[in-house]
Amino acid sequence: MTCIRRFTTGLKAFAVSAAAVALLAAPAAAQTFPDPSDEAKLLELAKQEGKLVWYISAPLEPMKAVATEFEKAYPGVKVEVLRIVGPQQYQRFMQETQAGQHTADLVSISDRPLMESLAEEKHLASWKVPSHDRLPAQARLGTAAYAQYVSDSSIVYNANKVTPEEVALLASDWKAILDPRFKGRFAVTTQKCGTCYLALHMFMDPKLKGTYGPDFVRKLAAQKPVVYSDVLVVLDRVIAGEVDFAYWSFENGAMARWRQGAPIRWVRPEPTPVAALVFQGVSSHAPHPNAARLFQNWITSEAGLAAFQARYGSAPLLAGSEDLRDVRKEPWYKPITKVYEPDYDRWAAQYDKDMGFWINLIRAQ
Amino acid sequence: MTVSSDIGLAPSARPGPVPGFLWRWTGERILWLFLAGAVFIVAIVPLLYTVDAAFYRETRVGLSAQRSLQAVLNVYTGSEYLGYLALAMLLAVLVTMLSVAIGVTMALLVGRTDLPAKRVIDLLIITPLFLSPFTGLIAWIMLGSEKTGFINGAISAVLNTVGLDPGPLMNIWSFGGVAWIMVIFFCPFAYLFTVGNLRAMDSSLEEAARMNGATAVQALVRVTLPLALPAIVASGLLIFILAAEMYTIPGIIGSNAGFTTLPWKIYEDSTVFPVHRAHAAASGTLLLWITIFGIWLQRRITRRAERFVTITGKGFRGNPLPLGGWKWIAILWIAVYVLSAVVLPFGALLLSSVMKYTAPALTADLFTLNHYREIFALPSMRQALWNTSWLAVASAVICVLAGFLISFMEVRRPSLATKSLAFMGVLPVAVPGLVYGIGLLWIYIQTPLYGTPWVLLLAYVAKFLPYGVIVSRSAILQIHPELAEGARMSGATGLQSVQKVVMPLLKPTLIAILFFVMLMSIKELSASVLLYSQRSQVLSVLTWHYMDAGNYQFAAAVGVIQSLMMMGLVLVTRAIFRVQIEKALVK
Repeated sequence: MTCIRRFTTGLKAFAVSAAAVALLAAPAAAQTFPDPSDEAKLLELAKQEGKLVWYISAPLEPMKAVATEFEKAYPGVKVEVLRIVGPQQYQRFMQETQAGQHTADLVSISDRPLMESLAEEKHLASWKVPSHDRLPAQARLGTAAYAQYVSDSSIVYNANKVTPEEVALLASDWKAILDPRFKGRFAVTTQKCGTCYLALHMFMDPKLKGTYGPDFVRKLAAQKPVVYSDVLVVLDRVIAGEVDFAYWSFENGAMARWRQGAPIRWVRPEPTPVAALVFQGVSSHAPHPNAARLFQNWITSEAGLAAFQARYGSAPLLAGSEDLRDVRKEPWYKPITKVYEPDYDRWAAQYDKDMGFWINLIRAQ
Repeated sequence: MTVSSDIGLAPSARPGPVPGFLWRWTGERILWLFLAGAVFIVAIVPLLYTVDAAFYRETRVGLSAQRSLQAVLNVYTGSEYLGYLALAMLLAVLVTMLSVAIGVTMALLVGRTDLPAKRVIDLLIITPLFLSPFTGLIAWIMLGSEKTGFINGAISAVLNTVGLDPGPLMNIWSFGGVAWIMVIFFCPFAYLFTVGNLRAMDSSLEEAARMNGATAVQALVRVTLPLALPAIVASGLLIFILAAEMYTIPGIIGSNAGFTTLPWKIYEDSTVFPVHRAHAAASGTLLLWITIFGIWLQRRITRRAERFVTITGKGFRGNPLPLGGWKWIAILWIAVYVLSAVVLPFGALLLSSVMKYTAPALTADLFTLNHYREIFALPSMRQALWNTSWLAVASAVICVLAGFLISFMEVRRPSLATKSLAFMGVLPVAVPGLVYGIGLLWIYIQTPLYGTPWVLLLAYVAKFLPYGVIVSRSAILQIHPELAEGARMSGATGLQSVQKVVMPLLKPTLIAILFFVMLMSIKELSASVLLYSQRSQVLSVLTWHYMDAGNYQFAAAVGVIQSLMMMGLVLVTRAIFRVQIEKALVK
């Protein structure tokens, strides 16, 4: 064991040295960039760099489509997309940074506390996008990172399995799930993710203890839900008809499958938890810094967010922009009327505890 | 003749130690040093990092600089982790026993009996190898789900016509369902690594047994099977290791069926925030000890090498045992296997790849070819195809050559040095790919190799070299040294005796390893998912991303392309090496 320790200590010393060498090799003076609103200059510099590397958490296929729209808008700047989900992306980015392997130009992580941590440690460049003031406060982490969409909590159901009367009941109140008729008919997940935690965060809110609270969550678990490992596996099982509905899923996930013709719809009881969970920032060590900034400008612009709407089905985020999504024309579709906004401090403090409580309850059933 | 070129046997050699192997500056020693250095750097260094990672205090995103025994204590003494381990072992043992039983039975039928249409049967039995278990899971979810599975639907439809309603007969979302899927995908491994040996056996011993009153079945069970023990044990060990480290199928199904196995816990500890990397590493070491025990057991069972020598310098006959009236039962047995392992899963996967979404009933408006159009339009798909292809070929060639040389030195030149090298070469198999991937990532992130496909090649070589070592060892054990000795006495050099005598005899096994490693590389996911970059996409990672994003139809389409590619690579290999794999396997 001593040999191993010596060896790994040596290895880490080598790693630290390598990182130090890499840092020393970096330009001593801070690089200057054009004004964020000077798109022509930014584009000229971005073309010289030729490409950018975009780390994403969201599904690959719609993000590739969004990247293609950018490439069409700015010929000469290619986007290389690499999908690494949430905390793994954080770890990978940090490991690369510590080792001096600067690969990512833009990081996009579905975990707000982790992005806050990156911003605090100055791993994200400060870059105030031109649309900064039009974005809602909850979609901004200072000037270090921006969200392109918000996530919600929805009850997604198979339209062939749930009657209109049952749909109305489910839409009326989150607590309608305790009705005996729903016992064993719905699915939940024990996956740990921001979207998976969103509704639980509201149910465990001390301010709403009288309405929900741990007792409600216990009763929910006693309804014998079918459990799957992943929130998206839950969706597939609802579409297949193996279970009748997902108790809390999310609109963006359901939208892509609905557009393919899957027999699913969704309702969102009041109050509906809504949160910006996926933030994107420009790496302070971006190898293609101008291209990264051009992309960050575009993706938070009217055109970029419209691409998100079209390709990913996300609701508009910019103040004054129109909701262009085709789903709004459906008679069954009801927009969110009353929003529950998470308390992000409590989120960071209670996430592990609340998820542990939920997982243990489900496993005990 | 100097010893420096003597890779084969000296004229007077017999299996046994050659004194002074490491004390002379010889060609063998140079080769040993080269292999030992390469294996240490490629396979052992990441492993050491993984073991070391178990002894740190954890932070929410990794490891702190502070040493701690907490993770090791939790994993080794806590009921939680030991419970996960017990379930993983139960599953691995069950899967190994069933896979070996079914696979070896089919190998016996093909290798030692007068079963008809053997060439077609060979291909059909190994066809499940062309399907990744991960994408096979998609197929079996379609086939075996309780309420919406095609199998239950078909059975209900038939029984309803006669007024019976037995309810769902199959539920893939269960412990038994996990075992079923894994058995189906691991049976070909047992078949692949035993059928060549069985076919090559001299039939005189069986005939002697028959002449003494034994039935055909008794001759197979009492004479043939014991002689094939090294190959059976080696295949069993491989299956056990693969089953023990598999996290995808037990994880996805287990969450629904209410059980958790240790590999899935390692996956969660490694990837789900807040990560428990020291716990993942400590859990990896638990699997490491168990696999080391398995390797020791294999060595112990096959320690008296001469007991298993079945290919000698004497001529032999390979007369097949007549099955008589059992022939149709044997064909039925194989037909049921082919239906379960080939026809149904491949059909379901193909179907899923052209469906817009998962549906229990098929209607015309459900089908589309858009998934294929969209996938081929992606630049990453073309890159993934190229990377997957050359990585499979390169890793297979390296593993075959290095595995053969390491095993040959160990068996024919047994010494502390050669045994240590063989042990080093086998050790990485004991570590779950995911945990190993973390070690590899940490090591190679310091080098210019990081982010290139070369790092994946190193990972694949490290991960699959053990198969080259284990399987070639069992084959070398079955070749009597007198063959190389005879060549030497006729004037051949040591190298020539290996080239002209030993290698041709081992050709079926070496081709089998080549074939096996290519397929394993194409399907490899757990290390790839941590090491890939935007410049080194591979098909398995692409499939994972689609599945992870809930798009099973795209994942199925990539799975179909992956399967076709595996079949294509086998054909290309056949053209390059001028060997028909299916024939090579049964010679």
